[in-house]
Amino acid sequence: MSVAVAFGWRVKWASGYWLMLTLIALFAPVLAPHSPQMQDLAHTLQPVAWLPGGNWHFPLGTDVLGRCQFSRLLFGSRVVVLVAFLAALGSAVIGTTLGLLAGYFKGWIERSIMFVVDVWMAFPAVVLAMLLIVALGPSLGNVVLAIILVDWTRFCRVIRSDTLQLANQPYVLAARIAGASQLSVLCRELLPGVLPTLIVLCSLQMGSAIVAESILAFVGMSVGPAEASWGAMIAQGLGYAFSAPWLVLPPIIATVSAILASIMLGTGLRYAARTTSSRRVSREPER
Amino acid sequence: MQISRYRGTVDGLSRSLIPLARLPVILITVAALVFVLLRVLPLDPAAMLLSPNATHEQSTQMRQALGLDRPIFVQLWLWIRDASRGDLGQSLQFDDSVSSHILHALPVTLQLVGCGLLLGIVLGVASGVLAFHGRNTPLRGALDLLNGLALAIPEYLWGIVLILVFGITLKMLPFYGQIDPRFQVPSRTGLLLFDSVLAGDGAALGSAAAHLLLPATALAMSIAPPLMRVLYSSLDQAFDQEYVHYGRLRGLSERRLLVHHALRNAWLPVVTLMGVQGGLLIGGTLLVESIFGLPGLGNLMIDAISSQDLPMIQGVALVYALAVLISNTCVELALVHLDPRLRSL
Repeated sequence: MSVAVAFGWRVKWASGYWLMLTLIALFAPVLAPHSPQMQDLAHTLQPVAWLPGGNWHFPLGTDVLGRCQFSRLLFGSRVVVLVAFLAALGSAVIGTTLGLLAGYFKGWIERSIMFVVDVWMAFPAVVLAMLLIVALGPSLGNVVLAIILVDWTRFCRVIRSDTLQLANQPYVLAARIAGASQLSVLCRELLPGVLPTLIVLCSLQMGSAIVAESILAFVGMSVGPAEASWGAMIAQGLGYAFSAPWLVLPPIIATVSAILASIMLGTGLRYAARTTSSRRVSREPER
Repeated sequence: MQISRYRGTVDGLSRSLIPLARLPVILITVAALVFVLLRVLPLDPAAMLLSPNATHEQSTQMRQALGLDRPIFVQLWLWIRDASRGDLGQSLQFDDSVSSHILHALPVTLQLVGCGLLLGIVLGVASGVLAFHGRNTPLRGALDLLNGLALAIPEYLWGIVLILVFGITLKMLPFYGQIDPRFQVPSRTGLLLFDSVLAGDGAALGSAAAHLLLPATALAMSIAPPLMRVLYSSLDQAFDQEYVHYGRLRGLSERRLLVHHALRNAWLPVVTLMGVQGGLLIGGTLLVESIFGLPGLGNLMIDAISSQDLPMIQGVALVYALAVLISNTCVELALVHLDPRLRSL
């Protein structure tokens, strides 16, 4: 059955944004005028090019070490893209697996999984992420891991309640009567059923992961100081907010635009999923 | 959500006791989790307290004094036992107990959370009602757009944006510290606003309030946009109900219908949302405090992390979890109280 999904403007714009950001991240070494680590101590704290005192050699000016802000912004997109995709994927895999198990098998499996979720929800996400980074040590891989280990509960809760509803649907009961194994019911019947929700959650999770990475970078618990990261650029720029306000604005705008894109993608996909499923339902009597 | 799982299994009265009964079980598990998580560390707290040229004997003594030589389960038990008495151990960076630092920092955070919550509810409800009242005018579109943008800005970026706009560009409000250092307010409750009222110092109260305005607004912006959304859609549903039609037939004004009739029933989803957002709000204080230089739990946590003060990290994390659990439990109890459907099933 092929269903033509009508994506609205939100999905088009947001996926266009992510495509662009991914390309920037991939080709950052080609696009950037300078190396993000190169320090030009003769030109520190230069303003942006169009302000008096700036020049196009450093389009967005330089920081206190004379590093090109524009190049650092471009290289910072690598962290954002990696974190957004990997963290969303990882927490989706863990959360969906546990959510499906809890919703389908019920009983003690559900109770123990939901108890773990309750324990996890007792922490503010930031605090748990920081604890994990303290335990694991700050690095990009560990930041992704920490975000996955914190945020899987969001998937688990929603997927579980979706599964609880789906498990009583006639088609799932039919599959069980037809003798499908538990695994096959889970993978072939329930997983496709929760897929629309899952995709929406994934795109929203990209936004949450960006926020989490940005917060950890802001307090210096993400990549090292030499690597470019938007959160670290914001933290550094804030220190010079009086004398050099142009340092802090571009990374803020970049971060907010990435979060906005992921929220737009999620909202747009939710609308698309709703219209698709309603169309499918309305078509059924004809068949 | 929590409550629905117990539907039909217990009667109405004891349903309100279940969240309370779960509290200690979850709290103990949380404590164990924090403990185990930080014990995985390759750090040696004893080595951090001793000078680098300490002898092996001194190190063994220190480990015994700190209880590090015992099995991990014994350490865990001792920690939970002491924590339940309010003793969270000795800080490694200060010559002081962890609890005394937490007790100093807690009022600052509570004051911030309280003001942020209040401001967030006011902003969220006001914008939600305003957007619904003007739902056929361009005002709704404008508020929707702002809402979408506000949702995408996390509270710590709000903090920075507010500093840039009101603190640095317009120079209207102070943005660092709790109060102007000129003022000396005797600490009684630790809540600076109350303390300056108790001291009868109007100027200090003004300064403290001005210092609190930006951080509280930043925090409020983490709950106001989702609140507006939920309130809007719940008002929308309420206006479809028959009692609103009858009210209109009776000649009540739109404004009266909205404020006195629909809004009353639209409160429930708002309280439910608060349950979800409680953890977010409490977590949000961490970065907001660090940005605005408020000496609360968040700054204590970040300081403890940078100086690897394990007992302090454990203690503060536990207090954060306790705060979230208490706020969630309060919301659950409030829901049972507010929604008769949850009581008698």
